[in-house]
Amino acid sequence: MIRGAVAIFKRDFKKFLSNPFVVIMTLMMPIMYLVIFGNAFGGTISHIPVGVVQEVPPNIDTPLFTSATIALNHIPQKDAEKLLDVTVYTDETAAKADLKKGLLSAVVVFPSAISNDHAVRLYVDSSNPVIPALVESAVRRVISALGADNPVIVYKIYGDIKYIQFFGVGVIMMAIFTSTMFGGGIALIRDREAGIHEGYLVTPVQRTSIIAGIISSGTVRAFIAGFTIFLIDILITGIVLQSFEDFLLVILVILIACVGVTSLVVSFASRFSAQQEYASVVAFLNLILFMTSGAFYPVQGMPDWLRWITVINPEYYGVDALRSIILRGQGLAIIWTDLVALLIFSGAMFILGIATYRRTLE
Amino acid sequence: MSRPAPTGEEVKHDPAKPIPSCLASSDTSSIIRIDHLTKIFYEKNRTVTAVDDITLDVRRGEIFGLLGPNGAGKSTLIRVLTTLLRPTSGTACVDTYDIIRDPEKIRSIIGVCPQNSTLDVELTAYDNLEFYGKLVNVDDSILDQRIWELLKMTELTDRAHMKVQTFSGGMRRKLEIVRAFIHHPLILFLDEPTIGLDPEARHEVWQQIAKLNEEKTTIILTTHYMDEAEKLCNRIAFVDKGRLIALDVLDNLKQLIPAGDLIEIGFDRIEDRIPPALREIALINSVEVKDHRVIISAKNGSKILPEIVAVFEKFSVPMTSISIRSPSLEDVFIHLTGKKLDDGINHEPKPEQRGRSS
Repeated sequence: MIRGAVAIFKRDFKKFLSNPFVVIMTLMMPIMYLVIFGNAFGGTISHIPVGVVQEVPPNIDTPLFTSATIALNHIPQKDAEKLLDVTVYTDETAAKADLKKGLLSAVVVFPSAISNDHAVRLYVDSSNPVIPALVESAVRRVISALGADNPVIVYKIYGDIKYIQFFGVGVIMMAIFTSTMFGGGIALIRDREAGIHEGYLVTPVQRTSIIAGIISSGTVRAFIAGFTIFLIDILITGIVLQSFEDFLLVILVILIACVGVTSLVVSFASRFSAQQEYASVVAFLNLILFMTSGAFYPVQGMPDWLRWITVINPEYYGVDALRSIILRGQGLAIIWTDLVALLIFSGAMFILGIATYRRTLE
Repeated sequence: MSRPAPTGEEVKHDPAKPIPSCLASSDTSSIIRIDHLTKIFYEKNRTVTAVDDITLDVRRGEIFGLLGPNGAGKSTLIRVLTTLLRPTSGTACVDTYDIIRDPEKIRSIIGVCPQNSTLDVELTAYDNLEFYGKLVNVDDSILDQRIWELLKMTELTDRAHMKVQTFSGGMRRKLEIVRAFIHHPLILFLDEPTIGLDPEARHEVWQQIAKLNEEKTTIILTTHYMDEAEKLCNRIAFVDKGRLIALDVLDNLKQLIPAGDLIEIGFDRIEDRIPPALREIALINSVEVKDHRVIISAKNGSKILPEIVAVFEKFSVPMTSISIRSPSLEDVFIHLTGKKLDDGINHEPKPEQRGRSS
């Protein structure tokens, strides 16, 4: 019995050691968890864009407004950059419009005088689970520091959004990615492992067709997963869509996000020849992309070096577009940049996949 | 994705080393022309020359056999010709296309049945044929009909919608061979088509191959079974250690053995004058008398048989039996290489690996 166990152990361990790539990925995984998890959550949020407006009349800046603006703009944080970036608006409507567009996280409207019956109005982007509270406490602190007893009234422009609603939208992207891990391109690698690819490489089928076919099938699978999670989100997290157009828009975003994520995964699959290596890389990608997508925690809380990943992270654009529609009721006018980014990303990955696909057996 | 036609490319090229154009071949009887083809695999600490400077032609419409032991380089040669591997040096033309410059054109005129099964065992027989048919551009309007035709040919009609993983080895092999033929390719490559099959299945595969050849398809098959090559092939190339050792039709290959055919004639009583008389026949090498049998070794035994019979009749010696045994391909192969065909993979350590400099 011992002999058998030793033989099995040796065989397995030999295989493990003969694949240094997998060994490294096995060790890298927890390290990356530490680094990325550790930095993606609980990082200090800084440079929150806030607009300030002075109520009219009067048509001149009051001392309260001037002092509060300066104070808000210079709130120091321990071991981090300042909390708020204040932009002065002269027109309340313009400030609110920028808030709606997502350019600002909050708008503070100051009353004409220091008095307990003139309220400071604070409009916050309530689709973010963390920032409204930070801004609100900052505003309250500044006002009381100035000795003003004005009450602060908070207006949540998207109503009360629970964390599960915020997170639920992110999980749609996770469902998409998870399904691509099994569906996106793994068929290519299985063919290679089984030697089946030799059968179709001798046919006139082009690399472009092979990659396009695999991406299409992966996209449909991912779409089914993403759409199912979206429906579940509606049922259990209580998100409400404003209109049928929004519903169609969500479908469009899920579809484009599926193309993006699947293209990414397939571009990796087109090169790998062993499922084990591929699986370890894709699991690693899943971690990095999901953690930096902003699904769990606003990307504003990430350190800069981590935030640049979001720039090339298709999940970030997917999450952002879905939140814009589902939580904020925004339309194409706002999310088109996300869609363009996703499409550019998909195109680049498609080309990369074709370029790296080996048309011969070498 | 169309490239501009390479007009005048040949003219611009170094005139000292003109690229032989596959189009400009005057020899229309050959469909594949291999010219000093070499394929070397570079591995970590050694190089393996799998195909070593092979030059040969395959004629239009023939069944061409590549015969050699395992590891001789047959499959590598097939893979180079089917554009799966690039040659290290040398060129080859498949029909009018160059294997390096026009791989896509070649892929559309060939059918390939690789050595290892490439059927998708999770799909049904029908689905496998349909998938392949679409990849090789069989018109949708005739695809279904063609699939049923092929299934009928292989007697798999009743299993059309069963997954291939439930098939026996012979069924799979037959299915794979007809799959390679679905688009009526000009050339069919069969790499070890009967490896691992039982005798009955082998016969069925052979019949299949002969049937396909009747449809004017050139067939190139590799094998290490000499009976297979003997039975099917018009011309046979012997390959060993990547090199071409001999190439000819079966009968001529057998002439390579100096002893020639063995003729045995049985008798009840012998006339002493017969052996010297036999020895006078020009093509006879040796005559031996052994317990009521004369064993004659002669080149072209069947041709001189009447002369031998005439000698016996001249001396009124009745013959009880006559048999001619040609040397087998195996005999020829042993004669040429000094080893048996199915020795398995001969991994004799090379002297340079073994040798230590001291």
